[in-house]
Amino acid sequence: MGLRLERRVDRPRWLTVAVPLASVAVALFVGGVVIALSGNDAVDTYARILERGFTSRGAFTATLTAATPLLFTGLAAAAAFRMGVFNIGGEGQLIVGAIGASGAAIALGDSASGPVLIVAMVVAGAAAGAAWAGIAAVLRAYLGTNEIITTLMLNYLAINLATYLVFGSTSAWRELTGTGLMFPQGKKIPDAARWPGIDFGNFTVGLGFFLGTAIAIGLFVLFRATRYGFSVRVIGDEPRAARYAGMRTRRTILSLLALSGAVAGIGGASDVGGTRYLLDPKALGQAGYGYAGIVVAALARLNPLAVVGVSILMGGLANAGRALQGPDFPAGLVGTLQGLLLVCTLAGELFARYRVRRTAPTPATPGAAA
Amino acid sequence: MIALATVLAQAGDGASSALPVASNGSGVNSNLLIVIFASAIFYGTPLLLAALGEMLTERSGVLNLGLEGTMLMGAVAGCWASIHGTGPGWLVVIEALLAAMVVGGLTAALHAVLVLTFRVEQIVSGLAITILAGAAGLSSYLANSLELSKGPVPHRLEAIDVGGLSDLPVAGPLLFDHNALTYASWVLVGALWWYLFRSRRGLHLRAVGESPATADAMGISVARTRYAHTIAGGALAGLGGAFYPLAIIPLWSDGITGGRGWIALALVIFGFWRPELILVGAYLFGAFSSLGLTLQARNVEVSAQLLDSLPYLMTIVVLVFVSSGWARRRLGAPAALGTSYEREER
Amino acid sequence: MSESDVARASAGGPPPALAARGITKRFPGGVVANEHVDLEVLPGEVHALLGENGAGKSTLSNCFTGLYRPDEGTILVDGEPVAFHSPRDAIEAGIGMVHQHFRLVESFTVAENIALGEHGPVRRRADAARVRELGERYGLGVDPNARIWQLSVGQQQRVEIIKALSREARILILDEPTAVLTPHEAEALFEVLRRMTAEGRSVIFISHKLDEVRAVADRVTVLRDGRSEGTRPLAGAESRELARLMVGRDVSLTAEAPTRATAPTDEVVLALRGVRATGEHGQESLAGIDLEVRAHEVVGVCGVSGNGQRELAEVVAGMRPPTSGTVEIAGTRLAKADPRAAQRAGLAHVPEDRMHTGLSPSLPIEDNLALTAHRRPPLSTGPFLRRRRIRERAVALMADYDVRAPGPTTPTRVLSGGNVQKVLLAREFSSDPKVLVAASPTRGLDVGAIEAVRSLLVDAAERGVGVLLLSEDLDEILSLSDRIAVIYEGSILAVVDRADADVEELGLLMGGDRSHLADGAA
Repeated sequence: MGLRLERRVDRPRWLTVAVPLASVAVALFVGGVVIALSGNDAVDTYARILERGFTSRGAFTATLTAATPLLFTGLAAAAAFRMGVFNIGGEGQLIVGAIGASGAAIALGDSASGPVLIVAMVVAGAAAGAAWAGIAAVLRAYLGTNEIITTLMLNYLAINLATYLVFGSTSAWRELTGTGLMFPQGKKIPDAARWPGIDFGNFTVGLGFFLGTAIAIGLFVLFRATRYGFSVRVIGDEPRAARYAGMRTRRTILSLLALSGAVAGIGGASDVGGTRYLLDPKALGQAGYGYAGIVVAALARLNPLAVVGVSILMGGLANAGRALQGPDFPAGLVGTLQGLLLVCTLAGELFARYRVRRTAPTPATPGAAA
Repeated sequence: MIALATVLAQAGDGASSALPVASNGSGVNSNLLIVIFASAIFYGTPLLLAALGEMLTERSGVLNLGLEGTMLMGAVAGCWASIHGTGPGWLVVIEALLAAMVVGGLTAALHAVLVLTFRVEQIVSGLAITILAGAAGLSSYLANSLELSKGPVPHRLEAIDVGGLSDLPVAGPLLFDHNALTYASWVLVGALWWYLFRSRRGLHLRAVGESPATADAMGISVARTRYAHTIAGGALAGLGGAFYPLAIIPLWSDGITGGRGWIALALVIFGFWRPELILVGAYLFGAFSSLGLTLQARNVEVSAQLLDSLPYLMTIVVLVFVSSGWARRRLGAPAALGTSYEREER
Repeated sequence: MSESDVARASAGGPPPALAARGITKRFPGGVVANEHVDLEVLPGEVHALLGENGAGKSTLSNCFTGLYRPDEGTILVDGEPVAFHSPRDAIEAGIGMVHQHFRLVESFTVAENIALGEHGPVRRRADAARVRELGERYGLGVDPNARIWQLSVGQQQRVEIIKALSREARILILDEPTAVLTPHEAEALFEVLRRMTAEGRSVIFISHKLDEVRAVADRVTVLRDGRSEGTRPLAGAESRELARLMVGRDVSLTAEAPTRATAPTDEVVLALRGVRATGEHGQESLAGIDLEVRAHEVVGVCGVSGNGQRELAEVVAGMRPPTSGTVEIAGTRLAKADPRAAQRAGLAHVPEDRMHTGLSPSLPIEDNLALTAHRRPPLSTGPFLRRRRIRERAVALMADYDVRAPGPTTPTRVLSGGNVQKVLLAREFSSDPKVLVAASPTRGLDVGAIEAVRSLLVDAAERGVGVLLLSEDLDEILSLSDRIAVIYEGSILAVVDRADADVEELGLLMGGDRSHLADGAA
């Protein structure tokens, strides 16, 4: 009696589709139970999420806007996790990216043209994010310090830094005229620095989303078809084999974490240039883009191209959550649903990796009962 | 538990300041250092509880990165029970602590199921727990659904003046002016030390964390040991989480633990997986947590953001030191920490 | 046949201490490790389980110790059927086991290890006293307060035996116990076993070495391909017959040297001079090694495991920095520990830990075959990989080296041990090396794979490669090497030509006994 697990030698193709679908179904069911327990109609809630996230007028534009930061943090997490480097710092890297990008735009001011401003923002955001991740990378590569906790602590430091710049000092990031004198707030970037979008009739796609998609394709090629990607796979799978093959493990950790931070940092630039047009520490601190990015990366199974699709789904969820928030749609529901999706998908992996067998009852031997 | 109850009986449910460091003392006891030390113990207590829980979990070989989420779930449960509990104030507080332990244990049980039964990688599972239960997830959803932030937490942990000794110079504020949970945490440190290093179960626990294959061959159930200690660790983390609404911040806000779960994780490493060293570390970090408030109360001008950053900066510095080759050779991370164990087939 | 054995053995006298009836154990993927195995172990006997690697010996003993549950069949202790649901049940039934890889907690003391799994409060002083008392009674002296990692392998084995005895094991199973021992230590172990059987305890002695089975056992059961080939008393059993049963065909008992067409030249392709290095725990593990390997030459390094072989291989491969001394590969001196520089100089390396050091287990076979070669054309152009060429090359190598796998994209970890080793050898040989370091290249392989691997090593030498072969298998060293070096505690005690090699003498040297070298034989 009882159940036993057997490792699958090969994985049938249908399983790679069926298992995630079943996992999502279970997550939605459990989520429905949670919603029902708090006294709301689960089916109705899901229907409204679908409507406000995707099908209603203007919903998809807002969804893509909400998806853009998740796309960047999702790619950042996927890139690092691929090598078994757990960069939990997408949050902080995005925030310092926003600091860098807004700083660059403010510093260049109205003197520069739009394209110059936008490129400067992307570069500054990437550099800031890479530097922030670089702190953890150097500690990990040279001193063996666990990157999970350092990247996390750096998240809190990043939000404190942003808060300091806008609320705790009279820095260049703070608006010091008009209402800014009474209520501390971020200084607006020049109008020319606002990122354009492309209108597709029914919906608009921002420059940030295009940029993120391009980075996703770039990362896909990097991991799939280059020597660098090959090293990342070997180091991630078996560090001893990488050392045996003479791979530069330390250099690869440094560069990959910096790359990961740079992608998240561009996400910060995109947030400033495409959505808020200023450094808004409060909103960034509450948004939790970095953590949601981990969910996105895990659901996409660390595949950069899949991150694009998953980020749209999660963006739709977040967008609907924002639009619907109220007494019958409490804050935290979206996060709970995301968490349930993640937990169920992870658990579901078991059925893709193992075959569940019912063990034969212990053979009844004549004297066994005695 | 009975002792705890009688102690709590004297607690009452008055609404005096939650801080034990209110400057009502006089003379030497209002000395800045004494005040900082006393509040270090106060702010260090939830860190201590959560880190002790994580230590138990990690000693069995399971890494639970879901500590922050587990603490938040404990905080929600404690807060809710304090509002909805029945009976006299001291009983409600006990109910709140029990609720926090149960919910914290259940949250950790989810992690245990994922890593032990569903064989999910421990790091990923822990992160998933924190995302599910964390500040933007279930803890927030529950708190909002249950309307916990409508008013202040009614029944709280109050400082207990043991035998009127709190006015003693120096020792008074340091040792005799704390709430019941802080006193209980001291007992817990001793009890866990004895459990780990003197008891049979502790021996088995350490064996499972060091070499599950050996423990298995000696007839010790690896899965059962890991389940039990992961859940027990979660219960302690829940208790630590409940300390925030019940003692520190008497009004619910999402993410009330403010990332202290992660600091508690670092503390386990800092304390070399030993209860007595974790106590030292927790109070050190407690001091950093409280420095800002203490200095502000004294009208010392320091950037709030800088002070708020100190615990996080300190964590990084300590981690760097602890992971240096020198320390690593001397500290004893359980050898099987973070790895799954399956009896090898073939 | 085995039926009648059983009947005869249990006709009169006491019931067997331990018996297996028709034990079958299958593993996922359709592997049948044991098929209807019968076994009877009498009280007071040393019963040898003889068989090759993979014959099902370990699986059978794991059924006896409750780690596995057999799919069919019955286990009887003292004639009573038992069903073990966990190792605890087996321990309580009086069965103790000394695993090949010791089941000890390294950071614990001896006494703490003994106390594992027992009930009631911990009595540290009583546990220590028990260790001393059992040690004296059976000649197993070991300090109860020492930590396991401080002990030698032989001492650790004693702890394992004491552990079983302290649980009052009446049946002790030893899995390949001599693999880690010097001949002298092995003799001491046999003495311990004799004392135990004199008290009426039974011993199951698992081995694939005929001579030591002869030295210690009363009766022997031969296993082949998971099946029992019958039980017989050793007195009167012919070694040749046992070997035939074990392997399933006639074998020559003397290691036969493969014929070689080429002889070593004067060209030195690998030179180590005064190489010192430290091991994992910072202890000195290489104490000044001087060694040369020439083109077309196989130099075998033999020694008891843990005497610096691993560090030696790693230093040559550029994976471990020497603390002093130099390594030269084909005339290129390695400036620092850098595997890539060693590879460029012409080194190929088959590491001891094939699956986790030599290969990246989750990666497909084609990627593992491309490892290191992926840096150069034709497998890559600039920073980009040429995926199609990687595939084509993999398909060709798999055919050349007879790698049996579903395809080039199969994850390497699902392959059998022999195929894993072929993938590794295919890759290493394809780099056209000048020096090959092979560490225990046939350990754990089945007979067919062993022969294939050995002939590949010989082929390499024929083509002019200098081969440094590290192995604990003296027969393998003797049959393949041109010269033989004996390593003991990080030093090369002697280097002898194969023609002058004497097994007895090598055995003594492996144990560190160099008294007979006083005349300057080296």
